[in-house]
Amino acid sequence: MAAYHQMGHDSENLLWTEELNRYRGAILSPVNYGLDKIAAQTEWARSHGTFETIFDPQMYVPNSEQGRLREWPYIPPDVDTADLTSDAWWDRVLDDLIQACATIRPTALCSPAPLPRTYSDEYFAHIVDIGDQMSARAAEYGIRPVQTAVVSMSDLAAAGRSMATASILSRSRASSVYLVFVSQMEPRRELNDVEEIKGAMRLIAALREAGVEVIVGFSSSEVLLWKAAGANHCATGKFFNLRRFTRTRFEEPGGQGGGQLPYWFEESLMAFLRQSDVQRVIPMNFEHLGVSANPFSERILDQLESNPEQAWLALAWRQFMFWFADVEYRLETGSTNAATILRNADNNWHKLDEIDFFMEERRNDGSWIRPWRRALAEFQPR
Amino acid sequence: MSTPTEIARAFCSTNGHQFIGPVGAGAFKETFHIVLATQEHQALKVFQPGFSPERTSRELSAMQRCAHPNIARLTTIAQFYHDGIQYLLSIEEFLSGGTLSSRLQSGLLNRTVIRDIGGQLVSAVAHIASQELVHRDIKPDNILFRADGTTPVIVDFGLVRDLVRTSLTESWFMRGPGTPYFASPEQLRNEKPMIDWRSDQFSLGVVVALSTFGVHPYQEDSATPAQTVECVAERHAQTAKFIEAARHAGMGFLLRMTAPWPVQRFRTPVDLQNAWEEASF
Repeated sequence: MAAYHQMGHDSENLLWTEELNRYRGAILSPVNYGLDKIAAQTEWARSHGTFETIFDPQMYVPNSEQGRLREWPYIPPDVDTADLTSDAWWDRVLDDLIQACATIRPTALCSPAPLPRTYSDEYFAHIVDIGDQMSARAAEYGIRPVQTAVVSMSDLAAAGRSMATASILSRSRASSVYLVFVSQMEPRRELNDVEEIKGAMRLIAALREAGVEVIVGFSSSEVLLWKAAGANHCATGKFFNLRRFTRTRFEEPGGQGGGQLPYWFEESLMAFLRQSDVQRVIPMNFEHLGVSANPFSERILDQLESNPEQAWLALAWRQFMFWFADVEYRLETGSTNAATILRNADNNWHKLDEIDFFMEERRNDGSWIRPWRRALAEFQPR
Repeated sequence: MSTPTEIARAFCSTNGHQFIGPVGAGAFKETFHIVLATQEHQALKVFQPGFSPERTSRELSAMQRCAHPNIARLTTIAQFYHDGIQYLLSIEEFLSGGTLSSRLQSGLLNRTVIRDIGGQLVSAVAHIASQELVHRDIKPDNILFRADGTTPVIVDFGLVRDLVRTSLTESWFMRGPGTPYFASPEQLRNEKPMIDWRSDQFSLGVVVALSTFGVHPYQEDSATPAQTVECVAERHAQTAKFIEAARHAGMGFLLRMTAPWPVQRFRTPVDLQNAWEEASF
C-alpha cells in the first residue's frame, strides 16, 4: 500500500526531503547508525504522525564486521564462534534485541534471519521459530513483529519451492513478512531470469492470499513485478546495494553503498540512464503513462543544461526514489498497471533499436523487458 | 506375558472396577469398556509394555493438555504391575455413540447434521492447534460420539506431534505417520517443517467431504484408494467432481481446507472457524 525507505549510509536527509513525503515509512538499519542515531530517527518519525519505522537488526551474517553492527548490544561477544542453530544462543540475542528496541521504540521489528548455506525447508522452519520467539517478546513492549525471510531467487526457480517456502513462512505468528530476495545479479543490473522472477512472484502471491502482509525489501525498478504479484509494500534506497540484496554486500568496505555514478531513471524505457543517454533520450519525448511531474527530473535537466559538469548524484538518488514511490502509488490506486508500463517500454526500446540507438553502457539494452513481460504473463498465483 | 485382556481384567479386579469387554485394538494398545465403582462408564487403555515410552508419554501429555468438549477426556494414568511386569494404563471417558465410520455405513450425513457436527470438530481442531499440537490422524474411525449421538469427540492421540518438542519421526522416512487416505500431502511426504495444524485441517476437510458427498477430494471415479493417496502425495488438483459438489453445496471452504499446500489452506484456526460459520449450506 506504500513505499518504504531502505535506509543505508547517510540516508537520513532523504527522510526529511519534502518531495519524498509519499513514503509511508523506513526500514532502519543498524549497520550505518548507532543506537542514539536510530533512536533519533524513530523520534522524528513519531513526530510525523503515521510514518512507520521498521527496525531490521541485519543479522544476515551475524559475525559481519560491516559498519557499526558490532557496536549494537544484541550482537554478543561470542558471535564469531556461536552455533547459530542453538536455541539458547538466540534466546540471549532476542532478549538483548528487544531491550535495544525498548530504547529506540520502532513501530515494528524484523526478526533476525541469518543467511544459510542452503535454503532448505528446515532453514525456513528455523527462522520462523526464531521469529515466533521474537514475536512473543515484542508483544510485551507493544512492538509489531515482522517475520524476516531471506529467500534465494535461484532457489525459487525450482518447481514447488515458492509454495513450500510460503507454506512454512505463513505459519509464523507474525502477520507480516519482510521478504529479502537474495540474487546472484549484481545490484546495478536488472533481474532477467524468467523462472526466478515467476517464483518470487508466486511466493508473494501465495503469502498474500493466505492473508499475510508482504513487505519486499531491497527493491529496484522490478517493484512493478512485486506489486503485480500482490506485495503490500516495497522498500528502496538511495544506493544500488539498497535496491538489490546480494551476498557480496557483506564484503563491501565501510558500507558506502557501492557505485557512485549518477543515473536517471526513465520509466518510458524502465531503464537507468547515464548522463549522455539522458541528454539524447529525453528530447525524443517518449510517451509517458501518467507519470507524476518529478521535481528532481526537472532539477537534473536544468542543471545539465546550465552546468553539465556539475555532479548530480544526490539529485539522481532522489529522482529514482520519487519515481519509486510515485509508481507504487499509481499501481496501488490502479491508475496504471505493470503490463501497460512494460509494453510501453518494450515498444520504446524497439524504436531505439530501429534507429540503431545505443546506450553508453553495453548491457543497457532493454533485454530484461521481455523476460519481465513474460514473467508477468505466465505468472500464476497458484 | 499376559494378554491385554488379562491385564485389564486384573486391573479391574484389583481396583474394584467392573470389566465389560474389549472395545478396539490398535498396534500398540487395546481399549476396554469398564465401569468404575462409581458406576461411571470408562474406557481403559492398556499400552503394550516397552513400546516407545516417549510416544506414549506424548499421547497422554497431549490429552492432559486438551480441555475441550469435543476431545476425549483423560481421567487417570496408572502404572500397574502384573506377573512382575510394569504396564501403563489410562482411563478415559467411554464414548458409547459409536464411530463416525459406523454411522457413515448407513448413509451420508445431511447438511444440517454436518453443519452441526463439523462445526464442533472445527472447534476441536482449533483447540488442539492452540496447544501447539497436531493430531495427525483425524479420520472417521477416530471420531466417536457421546451417548447423545450428536456430540462428536476426537480420540486417539497416538500419533500426536508436539510442535514445541523434538520430532519423534525420523526425517529419512519416505512417509510420515498417519492414515494415508486421510493424510495431507506434507504428512504423506514426511515434509516435517510443513506439518502444523493445517495438516489436521486437511484431514478434517477430507472427513467432511466424505461424510457429505461420499467422495474423497482427490479420488477420480475409477481410482483406487491407493491411487487417490498418490494423487494427494503428488499434489494433484482436486477432482472436478469434488469441486463442483462443494461449490454447489455452498461449501466452497472445503476446497481451501483440502488444498495441496498448507499456505493455500486457512492460515489460522479463527479463519477456518469464521469461514465455517459464514458459509450458507
